[in-house]
Amino acid sequence: MSKSIFELVDELPTGGITVMALRSLDFVVPGQWQNLTGFNNTIREVTGETDEALIQQIGERAVYLFNDKSQGYQRALWLYQTVDSASGALGAAAMANKVGQDISFLGFLGNLTPKPEKAQSIDLTVKLVVELVAFCQINGIPGDSIGDFLAALGDYGGESLMRMAALVCFDGLIPLGPDFILKGLSTIQGMSPKDLEQNQTFKGVSDLIPGGDSAGKLGFINQSFDSVKGWMSDFVSSRNLTQDNVLDNLTKFVEVSKDKLDYVGAFLDISVNYYTHTGVQTLARRLIERAVAEI
Amino acid sequence: MTVFNWRRAIAPLVLSVLLLVTGCTAKEPSPYAQAQQESTQKGAQPAVAKDATQGSSFNKFFPKPGDGYERVYTQEKKGFAEAKLKKDGKDVAMLAISDAVADVTAGMSATKKFEKSVTKIAGYPAVDVGTTQTAVLVADRYQVKVLSRNPAFTKAERQAWIQRFDLAGLSKLKK
Repeated sequence: MSKSIFELVDELPTGGITVMALRSLDFVVPGQWQNLTGFNNTIREVTGETDEALIQQIGERAVYLFNDKSQGYQRALWLYQTVDSASGALGAAAMANKVGQDISFLGFLGNLTPKPEKAQSIDLTVKLVVELVAFCQINGIPGDSIGDFLAALGDYGGESLMRMAALVCFDGLIPLGPDFILKGLSTIQGMSPKDLEQNQTFKGVSDLIPGGDSAGKLGFINQSFDSVKGWMSDFVSSRNLTQDNVLDNLTKFVEVSKDKLDYVGAFLDISVNYYTHTGVQTLARRLIERAVAEI
Repeated sequence: MTVFNWRRAIAPLVLSVLLLVTGCTAKEPSPYAQAQQESTQKGAQPAVAKDATQGSSFNKFFPKPGDGYERVYTQEKKGFAEAKLKKDGKDVAMLAISDAVADVTAGMSATKKFEKSVTKIAGYPAVDVGTTQTAVLVADRYQVKVLSRNPAFTKAERQAWIQRFDLAGLSKLKK
């Protein structure tokens, strides 16, 4: 049986590579992410309530909501978990590809695994789309207009903003460099539905990406990425983010060497599960916000 | 003559002590174990009834932003809609409408607490929940709740903001 929501939140780690890697991004979104863990703890923090019986009542409502499959929360969790594990597989493939380039007798590996940069670009765009789809599974489409919806998206804070910071830094800047947005765009624009189908990250989550067939899904990814590219470049420029300062901060928390840059992205892919970690935190927060308002 | 091998003798002892200790400190069942079991068993009652009113039909009854307050819709689900109230960029309160008849937890409807209501706001039965929440029940079905997210947003303000919802409009919402 899959895990209950309270187990998932209670078991969130307070240390380890994922948490350390995220802490290294505090300079990007100062004070936004406190690594809130523990189910009851999260209820207290989100609602400001302290009465134990009331906390129990809110928690029970959240458990019921999460377990009501028609409400979409489990699909959102699946998306966060799958995009992490699928991109981990991509990390492993990229590593094999790197070996293929370094050691000639393994050169044939280059034909089997995608070129890291292309794979990374697809990874970046698919992860972004997953964020959008998971947002809708959790929150619906709030408000009555596109403006309302964009305002809801623009209101990202806490662990959601941290997840976006990690996406920009760990899946954008570090593996692809300063022009990661352009690389992402040109990759998806020059891609065929078949290319997309072969991508591990996409394969993992394709069932929940809108658009019907692969061509339609590619169109959806294209549109989504295009519509947030402005937000992303603002994010990078307003916070003066560079590959260098992100790496400098990362090396303070996680043992990676800057001179092996090509491996750092692959290493993060395999060892850091920031989507699942912050995704569970987002999911818990939204469930609790709803539960406390409904009881 | 065999030499007494203390290591061999001590191993089972250590092992059994270990088992005893870990056995005794085994996790207590979660306080949510029962809710988990009830909500996942076969034929479990869903958290939100199938015929619940869609959250999208609640949006138009929310208070309008203004007077320095910003309203950001945050959730729109079956049986539920919620918006955040912000002032000077900071969250001060949450505003919510839910289909309380459709919200059943552990066999109990969210409307139940209004049976004990002794006060009214705008003519609707009102209750306070915990220290941060004030709610009214409209048309015996829809719960309108305001939740403080900042201590400066007092109970009086919650009561005032409840009255800024279009409660009359909501009471006529087709069920």
